[in-house]
Formats: sequence, C-alpha cells, structure tokens
Amino acid sequence: MNNVSSLMDGFVSALTFTNLGFGLLGTFLGTLVGVLPGIGPALAIALLLPITYTVAPSSALIMFAAIYYGAMYGGSTTSILLNTPGESGSVMTALEGNQMAKRGRAGAALATAAIGSFIAGSIATAILAFAAPEIANLAIKVGAADYVALMLVAFTTVGSLLGSSQIRGFISLAVGLVLGLVGADLQSGLTRLAFGNVSASEGIETVIVIVSIFALGEALYIASRFKDTGWTIISMKGKALMSREDWRRSWKPWLRGTAIGFPLGIIPAGGSEVPTFLSYSVEKKLSKYPGEFGKGAIEGVAGPEAANNANAAGALVPLLALGLPTSATAAVILVAFQTYQIEAGPMLFATNPDLIWTLIASLFIGNTLLLVMNLPLVRVWVQLLKIPRPYLFAGISCFALLGAYALNGSIFDLQVAIAIGIVGFLFRRFGMPITPLILGLILGPNLELQFRRALQISAGDYGTLIATPLSKILYISLILVLVAPTAIKLVKKSRVKTVK
Amino acid sequence: MGSLLLLGVIVIWDTSRTELPNLKIAVSPNLFPYLIGYFLVILCVILAIQIIRGGTAVPEGLEAGDKIENSDYKTFAYVLISFISYLVLITRGGFVVASTVVFVGIAFSFGNRKFGRTLLIGLIFAAVTYFSFTRYLHVDLPAGILKGIL
Repeated sequence: MNNVSSLMDGFVSALTFTNLGFGLLGTFLGTLVGVLPGIGPALAIALLLPITYTVAPSSALIMFAAIYYGAMYGGSTTSILLNTPGESGSVMTALEGNQMAKRGRAGAALATAAIGSFIAGSIATAILAFAAPEIANLAIKVGAADYVALMLVAFTTVGSLLGSSQIRGFISLAVGLVLGLVGADLQSGLTRLAFGNVSASEGIETVIVIVSIFALGEALYIASRFKDTGWTIISMKGKALMSREDWRRSWKPWLRGTAIGFPLGIIPAGGSEVPTFLSYSVEKKLSKYPGEFGKGAIEGVAGPEAANNANAAGALVPLLALGLPTSATAAVILVAFQTYQIEAGPMLFATNPDLIWTLIASLFIGNTLLLVMNLPLVRVWVQLLKIPRPYLFAGISCFALLGAYALNGSIFDLQVAIAIGIVGFLFRRFGMPITPLILGLILGPNLELQFRRALQISAGDYGTLIATPLSKILYISLILVLVAPTAIKLVKKSRVKTVK
Repeated sequence: MGSLLLLGVIVIWDTSRTELPNLKIAVSPNLFPYLIGYFLVILCVILAIQIIRGGTAVPEGLEAGDKIENSDYKTFAYVLISFISYLVLITRGGFVVASTVVFVGIAFSFGNRKFGRTLLIGLIFAAVTYFSFTRYLHVDLPAGILKGIL
C-alpha cells in the first residue's frame, strides 16, 4: 500500500498552482500539435526542450507528459473531421471515424474517441503506477550484461517493426549510432569522428538532432512535395454526445483496446501503429455488425482510440522503470530527464520518488483535463486548422532553429541542425523510418557504456554477455524477432504457391 | 529512375561515412565504431541488392505502388536557403532579424505572396519569441543590429 500513499503525495505536489498551470499548458499544446498535421508529440516536446534549462524538473515533466497524452486526443479530432491523421496512432481512427462524420455522426465519433481515450488512459496509468515500481525493483538486480541484451532487443524490434522494410529500419538505426559516436569517448576521452573540429569533439547534441530531423526535415520534405492544397473540414452538427446505443456498443471495444494497447506499449514494439491496427481488426472480427465496418462503425473508433492511449501509457513503463524508451516521444522525454541530470531507470524510484509520483499523478490529472477540455472545445480546435500552412511551417522552422541555436549559442550547432534537417528530408524521401535513428542516437552511448562495464567486471571475458538467464532469454527472443518476419513471408509464399 | 539514382548516392554517402571509423587504431574505444561501421557497410550492400532486385524506396506518406512524383526542388531550395540565411544572419543581424527573414522566406516558399502582412506577422512572432525567451526564460539571444531598439 506504499504505492498508494506515494501516489497521494504525488497528487498533492502535482496540484500546486504552478504545476497545474504547466499541466494545463501541456494539454493545450499537446492537443494543438495533435490537431495540426505535420507536427507530432515528439517534435512538440523536442521544440520545448529549451525550457528545461530554466523550469523546475517536475513542472517541465508534467508539461511533457500532458503534451504526450494531449497529442493522442488531438490526433483523433483531425482523423474524424478531416480524414488526416495528425499522428500515426490515429490512422485507424480515420478509417471509421471519417465515415461516421460523413454520415452526420461526427459528434458520436468524437465522443467515443475522447471518452474511450480517457478510460483507457486512466486504467493504463493506474497499472503503470503499480507496475513500474515493481519492475524497477526487479530491474535493480539486472546487471550490465542484461542491459546490453535489453538494449539490443529494443534496437532490433524498433528497427525491424517500423517502416516498410527491415533493412531501412536498421540503416536508420545505424546512422543514429554513428551520430551517437561523434565526440569524446566517455571512458577513454579519445575523440571520435570529430575531424579536428573542436565543437564536434564535444559531441552532437541530441536535442539538436531531434528538433532538426523532425521540424527542418519535415519542412524540407513538405516543400519538395509542395502542392497548394487546403483541406476539407466536415462541419460538425450538434453536440459531441453519444446515444445509449453508442455507449452499449463502445464500452467493450474501449476495454479490449486498453488490453491490447498497454502490453504492446511496454514491449519495444515501436509506437502505436501495431496496437491500433490490432485493435481495429479485433473489433472488426468480433463486431455484431461487420457490414458497418468501412461505412462508419463506432467500434472501429472506440477500440483503436483506447488502444492508442493505453499504448502511450504503456510506453512510459520501460521508460521510467528501465530508462529504455520504446517510441520517439518516449526517447525525447528521456532526453529531458538527461538534461536535468536525472537518470531514468530502476534507481529513479529510489533517488527521485517525489518527482516520479508527481509525474504519475499529473498523468491522471492531465487525462481528466483533456476529457473536460476536449469535448466542448472541439470547434475551437477545428478553427486552428484554418491557420495558413505557410505561416505554420514558417513558425515551426523558426522555433526549431531557435532551439538549435539557443542551446549553446553556437554556430556549429546550427550547421549541424541544417545538415540533420537534410538527412531528415532524405530519410522521408526514401522511406526510412526516423524513430530508430533517435533511439540509436540516445541509447547507443548507453549501450557502449554497459557493454564495457560488463566486460570490465568479467575482465574481458565475452562469455559474460550471455551468462545470466535473462540475457539468454533476451537473445533468443532477439533472434525470433529477426527471423520471424522472413519466416512468415516464406510460409505465405509457399502457401500461395500451393494454392496456385 | 531519378529516385533510384539518388538512392545510390545515399548508399555511397553512407558507405563513405562508414569507412572513416576503420581508419582508427585498434584499441578498446574503437570497438564500437568498428562494429557500427561494418554493420552499416553490410546493410548498404543488402539495400543495394534489394534495390537492384526492384525494391525501390517508398516516400513517406505514400503507399507502395503509388506513382512517385518528381520532387519540387525549387521550393526545396527556397526553404534550404532560408535555413542557411538564418545561419548567416543570427550573429550579424541578431535574432529578430534572422527569425523574421526565415519566417518570410519559408512562408514565401510555401506559396504565400502577401509580403507586407507576412513581414508584419514574422516580425511580431520574432519579437514576441525574443522577449519571452530573454525576459522570462533567461535564454540569451543575440540582439544584433537592433540592439538600441530592443
């Protein structure tokens, strides 16, 4: 019951005027970036990372958590009303949600998305509050060699599950690892890949890479495919309310979505595409009205939206308990921890209990604020879409450049930012996923550190890497992840052949 | 064809990059650069084989099989030039000047032709950002040539 009282303490400190203000600002900004296509939560938090230099850790983290949750809500609004998912987790929502809107049921679709997100978010955060400390307790016993295995598994799953091809995922990861190498080596002090440049020998700032790869890369990419197209907004009639029938059909998908989304958030399955897709197909199979799917079935909105939010909360478990991000947004939040010199991971609950419980409590608060704010304010959000796109991208780019420059006030950082922006463009143009790069950049140095630590303990014996039971299990699952997609393809091919 | 050629360039670019770590003397801190370097080389070879066998890249936001339109390099260049102008202007002209120029430049690239209005919005945007960062967040930004006014 220790957790409960800690959580209560968390609520007390989260409910101060300042923290509540930051929470509110976060929910607002989060919904905003969720609504606006082209900016996701990872970019929004990355752009706001400069505030971590001056704002207290708890306030900043509360705001980031609120942005994280808020973006999930905002994304559903554009999916339903515009058929333009603001972030990847809302792609499934757009399928049924937009159909519902076209049939004049936009209100019900928005309501089931918001209420479903709220319920899923609350349940998932509650599980998080109890599971994360337990996992952290276990994780304290996890040694350096196990960490190496864990990180390799995270790399492999994120690299192979995201994007269209495994190989492109891994290339993205490798580029991230290379960027992580630049600068002085942590242990020996040897400078790597700096080519005699003094600024480069200090390493490439993670923040700059994230900001520029998302913001500048996106601006360049949109520019390269530039067409002066607006978007058609389906106007919403009536209020965002659900009928009794809608409730009856929504509550089971909400719960099923939560059950699918949360566990998939914990394991590094790479973002919200997989759980939302799974939830959608489950609802389609279980539905009593399969004929309605594709024409606006409410289950097809309720399930994926719940899965999306539960997944977001699930991703916080490995982040807080192991210091292991499983999505781009979680990776950016980890960077925020690092700027505060707080090491996310098993020790976090012991070293910074106040901070962590405040953060968890603020997740509950943020979730509630989002529900209260979102339904009545839907119209306001839709108005925001009328900001002309030239101004939108101009503003984003200015902020990104500001973020890159303000960090150290150095021109070198700006040069790096523009170069990375071009890399971001090339990645988008050639279908390479970006998340593996971010993960490689952030976890690469960490992996190297743990790897060397393990070998130091074992006095150079490489056998130590597979000595513990946990590492053995992890390496086996790693091989499975690598081989499974190819194996499935082969089986499918041979089946097609036999059918023919 | 164009995209295929460009992808080839990327592969070469990647590979040239990977050979750099290999120049180092083999001591412990070089193990990781080596591993990552070889990892990249192997991946590039596999990617090259895939491309030769017909697995061309699919740009983000498109489905496999969609027609890949030619990139609009004019707009692309405008945006890139705007970024670079920031680099040049930030120390010489100061934050507000640089931001306004970038704002107008990018708005122009994305099809905005109302210069007066854009300039005004950009200026207000830059000034508000400047004041909120320097006064409230205590982040130092160069005042530049507008030092007397700000």
